[in-house]
Amino acid sequence: MEYAQRAEQSVSLLALLVIWGVATMIVGAVPSLPTPPEVVMAFVDAATGGAFWEEVLLSTFRVYLSFVIAAVIAIPLGLLIGRSAIVEDLLFPSLEVLRPIPPIAWFPALTIILINSANIVRFIIFLAAFFPILLNTIEGVQDVEVEFSQAASSLGASSTQILRHVLLPGALPSIYTGLVNAMGLAWVSLVAAELLSSTGVGYFIWNAFTAGEYPNVVVGMVAVGVLGYVSSALVRWLSAQQLPWLQSTTV
Amino acid sequence: MNERDTTNARTAPDEQHTDSADEKFRSWTESSGTGTVNIKDMTKVYGTDGDELTAVDSMDLHIEAEEFVTVLGPSGCGKSTVMECVAGYLDPTEGEVLVNGEPVDGPDPSRGVVFQENRLFPWKTVTENVRFGPQMRDAVDQSRIERLFDQMGLEGFEDSYPHELSGGMQQRAELARLLANDPDIMLMDEPFSGLDAMTKELMQEKLLDVWEDDDRTVLFITHDVEEAILLADRVVVMTARPGQVKDVIDVDLERPRDIDMVTTDRFNELQRRASESIHDEAERAMEQAEGRA
Amino acid sequence: MSTGSMSERIGDRFGESLPSPTRGVRKLLSLVGFVAVWWLCYRFGVLNFDHFVSPVTTLVEFAGALAGQPLTEGGDTIYLHAVYSAARVAIGVGFAAVLAIPTGLVVGTSQRWENLLYPALEAFRPIPPIAWLPIAIIVFPTLALGSISVPLPALFVVFVGAFFPIFTNTIEGARNIETEYRRAAESLGASSGNVFRHVVLPATLPSIITGLSLGVGLGWITVVAAELLTGGPGLGYIIMQGSRLLQNQIVVIGMLAVGALGYASSLLVERLGHWLMPWSTTEGNRE
Repeated sequence: MEYAQRAEQSVSLLALLVIWGVATMIVGAVPSLPTPPEVVMAFVDAATGGAFWEEVLLSTFRVYLSFVIAAVIAIPLGLLIGRSAIVEDLLFPSLEVLRPIPPIAWFPALTIILINSANIVRFIIFLAAFFPILLNTIEGVQDVEVEFSQAASSLGASSTQILRHVLLPGALPSIYTGLVNAMGLAWVSLVAAELLSSTGVGYFIWNAFTAGEYPNVVVGMVAVGVLGYVSSALVRWLSAQQLPWLQSTTV
Repeated sequence: MNERDTTNARTAPDEQHTDSADEKFRSWTESSGTGTVNIKDMTKVYGTDGDELTAVDSMDLHIEAEEFVTVLGPSGCGKSTVMECVAGYLDPTEGEVLVNGEPVDGPDPSRGVVFQENRLFPWKTVTENVRFGPQMRDAVDQSRIERLFDQMGLEGFEDSYPHELSGGMQQRAELARLLANDPDIMLMDEPFSGLDAMTKELMQEKLLDVWEDDDRTVLFITHDVEEAILLADRVVVMTARPGQVKDVIDVDLERPRDIDMVTTDRFNELQRRASESIHDEAERAMEQAEGRA
Repeated sequence: MSTGSMSERIGDRFGESLPSPTRGVRKLLSLVGFVAVWWLCYRFGVLNFDHFVSPVTTLVEFAGALAGQPLTEGGDTIYLHAVYSAARVAIGVGFAAVLAIPTGLVVGTSQRWENLLYPALEAFRPIPPIAWLPIAIIVFPTLALGSISVPLPALFVVFVGAFFPIFTNTIEGARNIETEYRRAAESLGASSGNVFRHVVLPATLPSIITGLSLGVGLGWITVVAAELLTGGPGLGYIIMQGSRLLQNQIVVIGMLAVGALGYASSLLVERLGHWLMPWSTTEGNRE
């Protein structure tokens, strides 16, 4: 039974390689779509040189730095907005004007506003991560049953203690959902922003494209995919560690 | 939506359609026999090697046609498993379940099921839910549906969605959905356990009415001693896991019954006997549950 | 539902010590404050805001653009750019939905199809959609239908962006259907085809709508990125063009237009959800 499952899953992945291989034969442009062996060769080349890893490290560091800053700002802000109608009314409408603007659309504006151009990509990733975390935090706080707060206050908890022992843990599952979404969107925006700038894995992809080194385009795509996947897995793992009371339910 | 409108507007050709539907319906119910259930030496084991859980162990139970049997047992004793095997959702690991002498092979409209939690389809109106069974056989009989709405006190809620109904009304609608199919056997898995005490009594009386009207076989799972005795011809007491038949109590109270009977001496006597029988099992079940945690 | 009342109540507790203007006034205050902060940044040169553009200029120009003035000298109107971008999102998301919903339903309900399809598709999922742009440019030529050019690379990238949210949410929804609904249908005499139509499909619909709404959001992100990189017409293109011509008000107008359209399209998906699911309560039956 399990053997058959594994077999079917392997067929699935093999079929992927076959389709890729066939596609490279059909697309006749010169130079055409890179074939799997070309990509493997390009990866070996890239992995043995230092430049590729430099870009990878740079991109990873960018994502994590902006992600952490976004979380540090969005979670307390979300708790505050979710808890107080006044703060909600004063802040939320402005944020709602900014939220639907795709982070990458900020790129040209940021080239003028920001003094240090290194901050452009950082700020775009920050925006990408900020809103999912903020919205999920607000929703999480507002969804905590009022009875829990009442129970805590009957047991003698002050309002800061309620925040610490009731609202924050109550909102945590939702906050983690936001963090997982934010991590995914952070990588999406990172690539978009780096395609427009001159460093990082996104730049590596675009540079390979303009230079006609198509196998390196795929190497860059795979690298970003793996980095994004590992980052999301990391956030999920963290969430499982922090939410022992949700044992079996998947996050 | 349009579908429903055309059936409400009853024109001559529709009338004809209903006649043929009626015929289909009759031939279908006649072919499905009388409704005996025979559970023979049934064992159900969950899980695979190394991580096995025996839910039911060599259980024997014969239910006559048109008999009302309640299965009384502590929580986690495998009584739902028994019902799921009769319904055809699960296959017994060993032994067999015969209905009208034939082995059960998957779910069948002649064996209707009411679940513990209300399982009206939330995305269908009450009418669409009640019509569902007949619709599956292209045998919708609108007048029959209307009679059911009347019998179950659901008039005025035809176009409501389930979430707009009270708990008791949801259970009545689910019962109506079941009866629309005219099953020989009704399988009910703690259907009233989520209701408040007063609604529960009303639903028990409703069920007795329905059953006394058109005689069906009922297999009713419960953990409520009073409910088990009030409804049943026979109460089957199950042991804690692995579930076996511990005791069978014949309930010789006269019919028709109503809720006032619970104060009679005979009822109290039967209730004491059932309570004593189940008490030790409930304790064992609790220990099992604590051991697992 | 109780949630709103809770924040209200706690808000009231806060409110006792403060003068409490009505909610509408407070919300208006928020927007006025937003514009004021922008203006102060511009006026006093916070960061390089003094090289950017003042809110006043922007709003005046935005009004002009809405009245139909071309955005750039001799260029197209904002409406034309908006139509191009919106059409790309609609077509890309439409294709994604047509493919992702059936595939997701099949994968979510059949173990075998899950084994066969899921690993291959899952391998693609973590790759950000915009990273596909170079490959899309290599593989797809830009078609020209008469005077309208069909930018296949941009459409493909939007398609990829929208596909996975719809796909994964459909799978998730189909997997999480309460078994007893299927069982109830089977016991009422439903064939497997009828179980699919009357149980699986309606029960998965809320998740499909969630996926669609995420897909549309990603569609707008990717279309802007693609237009920034590959040109227009389109809102992403005018944002880039505005910065090239040093007409910063155009940059902001483009951003606001994209935001407004993104917001409108998520409302549209929400309306679609209500229309398709008349049984759902206002907040949706998230469980």
